Amino acid sequence: MEVPPNRLTALMSIRADNITKTFGDYTALDAVSLSVPDGKLVALLGPSGSGKTTLLRIIAGLEFADAGNGRIYFDEEDVTDVSPGRRGVGFVFQHYALFRHMTVAENIAFGLNVRRRSARPPRAAIKARVCELLKLIQLEDHASRYPSQLSGGQRQRVALARALAVQPKVLLLDEPFGALDAKVRRDLRRWLRNFHDETQITTLFVTHDQDEALEIADEVVVMNNAHVEQVGTPQEVYDRPTTLFVHKFLGNVNRIALPWRGLFAGAPLPVEDGYVFVRPHDIELVHLNSDLDGDPACVTDIHAAGPVAKIAARRLDGLGIIDIEISRANLALLRLREGDDVLLRLRRPPSPSTVDYTI
Amino acid sequence: MNTTTTTKFTTFSFRRRSVLPGFGISLGFTIFYASLIVLIPLSAVFIRTTSLSWGEFCDAAFSEFALPAYRVTFLCSFAAALVDAFFGLILAWVLTRYSFPGRRIVDALVDLPFALPTAVTGISLSMVYSKNGWIGSWIEGYLGIQVAYSTLGIFVALTFIGLPFVVRTLQPVMEDLEPEIEEVAATLGASRLQTLFKVIIPQLIPALLTGFALAFARALGEYGSVVFISSNTPKKSQIAPLIIYQQLEQKNYPGATAVATVLLVASFLLLLLINLLQKWSRRHQQ
Repeated sequence: MEVPPNRLTALMSIRADNITKTFGDYTALDAVSLSVPDGKLVALLGPSGSGKTTLLRIIAGLEFADAGNGRIYFDEEDVTDVSPGRRGVGFVFQHYALFRHMTVAENIAFGLNVRRRSARPPRAAIKARVCELLKLIQLEDHASRYPSQLSGGQRQRVALARALAVQPKVLLLDEPFGALDAKVRRDLRRWLRNFHDETQITTLFVTHDQDEALEIADEVVVMNNAHVEQVGTPQEVYDRPTTLFVHKFLGNVNRIALPWRGLFAGAPLPVEDGYVFVRPHDIELVHLNSDLDGDPACVTDIHAAGPVAKIAARRLDGLGIIDIEISRANLALLRLREGDDVLLRLRRPPSPSTVDYTI
Repeated sequence: MNTTTTTKFTTFSFRRRSVLPGFGISLGFTIFYASLIVLIPLSAVFIRTTSLSWGEFCDAAFSEFALPAYRVTFLCSFAAALVDAFFGLILAWVLTRYSFPGRRIVDALVDLPFALPTAVTGISLSMVYSKNGWIGSWIEGYLGIQVAYSTLGIFVALTFIGLPFVVRTLQPVMEDLEPEIEEVAATLGASRLQTLFKVIIPQLIPALLTGFALAFARALGEYGSVVFISSNTPKKSQIAPLIIYQQLEQKNYPGATAVATVLLVASFLLLLLINLLQKWSRRHQQ
């Protein structure tokens, strides 16, 4: 098999230990620790202002943690005081940060061209490397274009190639697809996943888009308010959130005022201040005249465009509106119309014998 | 690149549909105003010159007094604009990048050469740089160089009046530079000097050339401050505008316009050259 162009003999793990960062009165990171195993694609997910970008910038060496005992390690090496250029990181910004006055090829070659003469590869080797990367990002015909002549997605690919040219040991991406439109974003996201599968380069990327994080990351680090809330695989954080924040942040969730008759005893749901949090697809609809227990509500809205039907129902006790997602087939079976009265209830888990997380 | 779209627009039209009205009236006004203020007075210079025969024109325009005057004018202006470009770059950099007490005052001081009557500039500069002046006495005493009342004095005055052009054209461009550009250069292993010379300065070149051209053009036409600080010795430290003035005083209008024509054509060619250079330096911008 052909060796992928960026295959590295040694992959690096990243460890941030007890990092605190304040800007004046504002605390961006409060004693945060994080570890990224080598060869993994990890997403730093959180709302804006959660400190995720600051953490990424500290790992890159573009920002420095407050004096104290916060340290950054690449493998076992302490790089806390190492300048960004010597850390061996590739950094990609949301807005590409391409050098406007250089062609695509010159942009990609920049990291190699600025090396000391003794460390710089010969001109032909640089050219070959640039060609290789242009091929990787599928922009071979655009080598002599200027960034202003490229689309957003193309620019971001050039920024990636530029970061990869110096063969970084870790790749850090700050909202890499945030400035792109939905379609390009999905394509590039998948491209990144494939690229990572080929190269195995340790990658940490920041995003506030949960779909992005859940779809391509091996591991998701959910951050909020200067803290790490939860670390786990996309399925773990989605299915078994350990904190209320994660439950509310990942996926859609209904905030239902208690008492709510749709609950059953021992339902594993987080409760806060007299509200229970339930995902729309965890609620089922039954006809009012059935003998099942449930909370009566009136269907106010049915959106059936897309794979699932989105239904809004107003509780008859006047305690708010609840969103429900059911399959289109289910909707057809129920013969539901706007204005119908129904019973809402929490979907019962399958019988205990089939519940087996270890499979 | 895309042939179907280019053929579509082969019929050229001045007028493009736009949501903003007033294309006709504003273009009309522009042409009227530019003619009234710029074109008609300038063409008068050429028309006046045509009253001379070719031989007379050459005698007047390239006389033994005029030739050294062109040399002084262009060389001093060029040198002054060059120095302005260099120090203006540093000054603009400091003003946009750092905040220090008194920054606003320094920022306001930059505009002073714009506002000051040129005669005031000339008088104050010649006082400071003359043999008995604060700076002049020091330079002359220790270095033995005479500043005021020499060609060097002309250069000093032209530097003074040209500086704000460079600073004011560079400042907005510097403020728009993305900090990410420098950060990305740092992560790619570039040293600070490499970042400065390979990343930052190249992006400032178009604005720097504009500033240089403005300072240069301003210096070519400068008269008021120079006549005060220069000794105005014929064939040595006379500038071309002074020759014109002298001709006018002697009621030799064709002679004056001959010199003016040379000055005009030469300035135009030089500015055109700088503009082409600038266009080339902007080739990456579509």
